[in-house]
Amino acid sequence: MTLTLRRGLSLAVLLALLIVAVMVGIAAGAVGLAPSAVWTALTHPHATGDVAAIVWALRLPRVLIAMLVGAALAVSGSLLQGMLRNGLVDPYLTGGSAGAAFTIAVAIALGASPPLFAGLAFVAALTTTLGVASLARSGRGVSPERLILAGIAVSALFAGLTTLVIMLAPSASASLSILAWLGGSLVGHGWNDLGWAALYAAIGTIVAAAVVPALNAIRLGDTRAMALGVDMERTRWLTLVASSLLVAAAVSVSGVIGFVGLIVPHLVRAMCGADTRWTVPASIPAGATIVVLADTIARTAVPPIELPIGVLLSLLGVPAFLFIAFRRRRAA
Amino acid sequence: MIEATGLVLGYGDRVVLRDVDVALGAHELVAIVGPNGSGKSTMLRALAGALAPQHGTVRVDDRPAHVLSAAERARHVALVVAEENADGDVTVRDAVAMGRLAHRPWWRWNGGPEDDAIVDAALERVDLTSLADRFLDTLSSGERQRVWIATALAQQSPTMLLDEPTSHLDLAAAYATLDILHDLAADGAAIGVVLHDLNLAVACVDRVILVGDGTVLADGPVDAVFRSELLSRAYGANIAVRRTTDGAMIAVPERAVRRR
Repeated sequence: MTLTLRRGLSLAVLLALLIVAVMVGIAAGAVGLAPSAVWTALTHPHATGDVAAIVWALRLPRVLIAMLVGAALAVSGSLLQGMLRNGLVDPYLTGGSAGAAFTIAVAIALGASPPLFAGLAFVAALTTTLGVASLARSGRGVSPERLILAGIAVSALFAGLTTLVIMLAPSASASLSILAWLGGSLVGHGWNDLGWAALYAAIGTIVAAAVVPALNAIRLGDTRAMALGVDMERTRWLTLVASSLLVAAAVSVSGVIGFVGLIVPHLVRAMCGADTRWTVPASIPAGATIVVLADTIARTAVPPIELPIGVLLSLLGVPAFLFIAFRRRRAA
Repeated sequence: MIEATGLVLGYGDRVVLRDVDVALGAHELVAIVGPNGSGKSTMLRALAGALAPQHGTVRVDDRPAHVLSAAERARHVALVVAEENADGDVTVRDAVAMGRLAHRPWWRWNGGPEDDAIVDAALERVDLTSLADRFLDTLSSGERQRVWIATALAQQSPTMLLDEPTSHLDLAAAYATLDILHDLAADGAAIGVVLHDLNLAVACVDRVILVGDGTVLADGPVDAVFRSELLSRAYGANIAVRRTTDGAMIAVPERAVRRR
């Protein structure tokens, strides 16, 4: 009973924090808005005026994109950490961000038009992760060890190629644009990109929900899960498909935002315990809250400059995570 | 319930066991014994369908094991492995409830009230009800072994195969475990159990399968298998079979006998 209570409370706290983060995210910016004004604008979608325009055209899509990116990366991290039973696994492990980064770098160097980037990044991330998953296939199915090795190798290859493209880019501004994308940014996306990313993330989430019971059984060990009737092959493939869709959806609108997919699963486990039926749903508000808050800080801390959100998350998040991790070890 | 014919088992190019023909029926408690590395666990996994044979067939309840889906197989055969690491932060009840996984569509997160009742009964049967809300890493080895048996019970499969469920258990806990298996067999289950301790096997089971020399050396009632020449051949050492004053058989290595 106490465990269930703790889990329920944790989920409630996470949802409450998300609501606060969303309100702050919409209210804060170059033009500060009062919470009441935000509320009025949100509840009157057809109103006209400056506040409505700021909320509906600028802030809301951006906050929703931040939510989507955080939730998608966090769920993807929870899935992969569960499948591989390894807390060091990051959703970018399977090469999605590296593949997308290289593709976008080439696109920028060749002068492609920015509206194409979201679609390109999505396709590149999905192709790379599924490619890595295929490389990980041994005679008897997807082997976790080969998956990690293939992911690291392919990521290293694309990272090298991306550096090469940055150095050979036709202009310094192209190099800077590539670096900005690598640093992560939610700038320049509207409802349209959000719509597509949300669609893919929704499909990924449905697939993720379907593998949750199997991932939970894997916590007893692979052989036990198999003996309990888990189809390991199906579970691994569906987990990889779900995680690939989620990462690709996130990368398409955010560039490379590290740390969230690695850390949020740890935070959620610390709050709710490791039961996949709780960690996966709880990852959604936890990841969303962190990225919404980080993006709000990124665009308001030193106006008019916008800090790269990926860099900001590393600077703020890593010390926070180390603090939590080491405090937990001392407690244990 | 399980019938294996002409099995050749191994990993990659390495053959561990050949010419394996064994059957396991309802109401039977059968021990699989043999020296370290003789292929007892390999055989158990093959019988459970967790390892595909290189040759030969395994039939489970009259159907070839390889045509069964993972869930179908789990409804026919429960496999209990002792040595695999489980996460410590799973509660006893959650672990046992996973035995119901194969009885609902694979994407459904939770079982219904009837599943809960089956889980409760399984916990009760192995005397774990009072520990139901504890985490696995707070249990003793013996309690954890009972968790795996309860999980298999919740699976409600007519056949249960166990890989060394008494390893790391003290004498009393080991006998208590075998008692549970004995009762289950009496209720109609087919039970195959890999045992390390010959004397535990001889004291508790009806039939023994002796594995050694890369094959099944003997398969029959305890009296027929517990013979000095068979055991000596299997273990590559002189093993004497003695009777205690009350008639129970024990197997003793010759060196120990001489020292006495």
